[in-house]
Amino acid sequence: MSTAMEERDWTRSAGGRSSVVRHDVRAGLGMLIPAGIVILAVTIFPILYSIWMSFNDIQLTQNGFQFTFNGIQNYVDVYSAPLFWHSVWFTVYYSIVTVAIELFLGLLIALAIQNVEKLKSVSVVVMLIPWSLITVISAEMWSYIYNGVYGVLNAILQGLGLIHNPINWTGEPVTAVIALMAADIWKTTPFVVIILLSGLQMIPKDYYEAARIDGANGWQVFWNVTFPQLRGSIAIAGLFRILQAFGVFDLPFVLTQGGPGSTTTSLAMLGEETLFTNLHFGLGAAVAVSTVILILGACLIFLSAFRGMVGEEAQ
Amino acid sequence: MKNKVKRWTSLAVASSATAALVVGCGQPTNSGSTANTNGSASTVETSNTMVSVAGVRIAKPTHLVNYKNASGTIVWAESFTTGPTASELVSAFEKKYPKIKIKLQVQPSNTDTNRADLTASISGGSSTPDVYMGDVIWPAQFAHSQLAAPLSDYLPTSFWARFSNGLVQGATYNGKVYAAPLFADTAFLYYRKDLLAKYHLPVPKTWEQLESEASYIVKHGGAKYGFVWQGADYEGLTCDFDEYLADAGGSVLTNGKASLNTAAAKQALSFMRGLITSGVTPQSVDTFQEPQSENVFTQGNAVFLRNWSYAWSDSQNPASSRVVGKVGVAPLPTFAGHGTSGYSTVGGWDLYLNPHTKNLAAALQFIDWMTSPQAQEILAANSEMPTIKAVADSPSLAKYSPVFALLPQVKFVSRPAQTPNYPSVSKAIYDNVNAALAGSVSVTKALQNANQQIQQALSGSGSGGL
Repeated sequence: MSTAMEERDWTRSAGGRSSVVRHDVRAGLGMLIPAGIVILAVTIFPILYSIWMSFNDIQLTQNGFQFTFNGIQNYVDVYSAPLFWHSVWFTVYYSIVTVAIELFLGLLIALAIQNVEKLKSVSVVVMLIPWSLITVISAEMWSYIYNGVYGVLNAILQGLGLIHNPINWTGEPVTAVIALMAADIWKTTPFVVIILLSGLQMIPKDYYEAARIDGANGWQVFWNVTFPQLRGSIAIAGLFRILQAFGVFDLPFVLTQGGPGSTTTSLAMLGEETLFTNLHFGLGAAVAVSTVILILGACLIFLSAFRGMVGEEAQ
Repeated sequence: MKNKVKRWTSLAVASSATAALVVGCGQPTNSGSTANTNGSASTVETSNTMVSVAGVRIAKPTHLVNYKNASGTIVWAESFTTGPTASELVSAFEKKYPKIKIKLQVQPSNTDTNRADLTASISGGSSTPDVYMGDVIWPAQFAHSQLAAPLSDYLPTSFWARFSNGLVQGATYNGKVYAAPLFADTAFLYYRKDLLAKYHLPVPKTWEQLESEASYIVKHGGAKYGFVWQGADYEGLTCDFDEYLADAGGSVLTNGKASLNTAAAKQALSFMRGLITSGVTPQSVDTFQEPQSENVFTQGNAVFLRNWSYAWSDSQNPASSRVVGKVGVAPLPTFAGHGTSGYSTVGGWDLYLNPHTKNLAAALQFIDWMTSPQAQEILAANSEMPTIKAVADSPSLAKYSPVFALLPQVKFVSRPAQTPNYPSVSKAIYDNVNAALAGSVSVTKALQNANQQIQQALSGSGSGGL
């Protein structure tokens, strides 16, 4: 790697060989074209198309979409709907709570697995099972667990004498939100664990030895060695989780259909319904673009907050 | 015949009066047979373009197609959830019309996923599926978005006379018929005849009677729950609610405006909520779709069940039911003082034509045959309710299922699906009714919210589109 860099520097400084460089650059660009076209087709174009859709009134006709530019009207309509702000609020607090708990639990589990001597690989595999299940399928499993009539959870709680009457887990606002969050945390904590576990293994062993020689106790070692060294992994895990949590769709789609009422209607569900059930493509695109902006904002806030909190500690 | 003549003359008088009014207002009249465009909410039709058939006024065909010698291959998107019904139909059709081959395309069983899939391919200009099955509540939306072709432009007016009353009206939008009714469905009251006999109780005719009988049997240990139905946050709840509403004498829309701020609506929703608070219905009914409610009943845990016609055969299947031979079926009850039987929501599936089809003749031949006595008999034998009079009114129909024998007693209520924004209207209903069932808002507040959201949805634009 480094030799290649040096070679390039050398050729650049030697003026007589610039045509070769230009040839190389042209060949390189040429090789980029196929990948560039693919990215253009599957990423850039849909994004730009969605943004364009969100500024148009769209009717379906025999000849496909018929666009009529209507400026920010779709956004005005979306932002004046109480249901949209309800979905924003649900999505935001759902994401904050689940991601925070997942990061905390994930860190605990990663530290525990790191310190396990025997059966380390077995515990990693067992822990990965929830993550490897397709969400829709695990959501169906949870719907049987939570079922208010023949659900397993009520049977266990009643068997233990903790409750007398069955709880209608997904049928009441507060318990429905808790039920969704629990299923989400169960499913995605393993993902956080895997990322943090790999982060833990990157920390050089001699840091710990040095800390111990200096007489640091367990808490000091964690706070002054492990945590600062792990902050990159935590940031990555947090970012990925925020990206996913803000787009939560399949869990409420299966478990609550957004109910009771519209309590658990996430932004992604609202967007899907507007687009594919109501066939209001302009409004749906406006919901989608707003969601993207919200996710970008959330990621930026998370990153800057995380840097502010841990960055100084590390120095 | 005499009847028909009478109808024609009265129609001619009425429509020429309309035409005179229109001319008087100084608006241009439509010329000849150029029909109204899809999607515009109010179009004026003159006397010579409209005809009356099957209880509905529709525009005369504009491009009659002669499909007697059709040939080639077409794709049929079918969404029968169970059984070999589709392939049975296809082989019978291909036997009769050997020049036409049908390719089956199996659609997702979830109705909304199915709609999303069809919307994506047809709005993208795909010429297949040529013919597809769709819910009876889709015509307005699909016509408005030009996802379905106006069948009444291509088929002779006489074609529509074969269907049972009311069905063609449900498939009509702005004077054109966009779907051919394939099979119908409606709801019934399933009850445990062994339990009613044990406690010497009659089959309930009113909702109040059902509530007290259910409560009596539960109190005496006959069953765990009294009455189960569909209360989850989805389209099915709109169906259930509409029945109580019609029984109480109300309707979702009156003269095109939301009318849930009425005493009837309050009676309907208060009764539904009351079933839960009185313990006749489990609280978790607000998470029940058809399978969950049916499951409670077939496991022997409930006295009464409200469900569609298929629940009969499910309840008699020893592989999944513990109540085989103990089940009776009756029309749904009504509120006291509103007659002897209640309203049942009209459901079912229609055949739609893809506007981009490359083989119009073969597609029309297929639709024609699917609504012929031969095909409708096959459907009936597969426990689907036929849509054409020739089969639906035949006394031999009862041999296929006892629920068919009840049909003459059933009063039907249709969902307010004549607007292209029906999905939002329905969501306004089921979201708020579900919240009231969960107890998170009061009955009055839920109806207020529903009424306001329906009104927004009907406007079709603005934030009502969400």
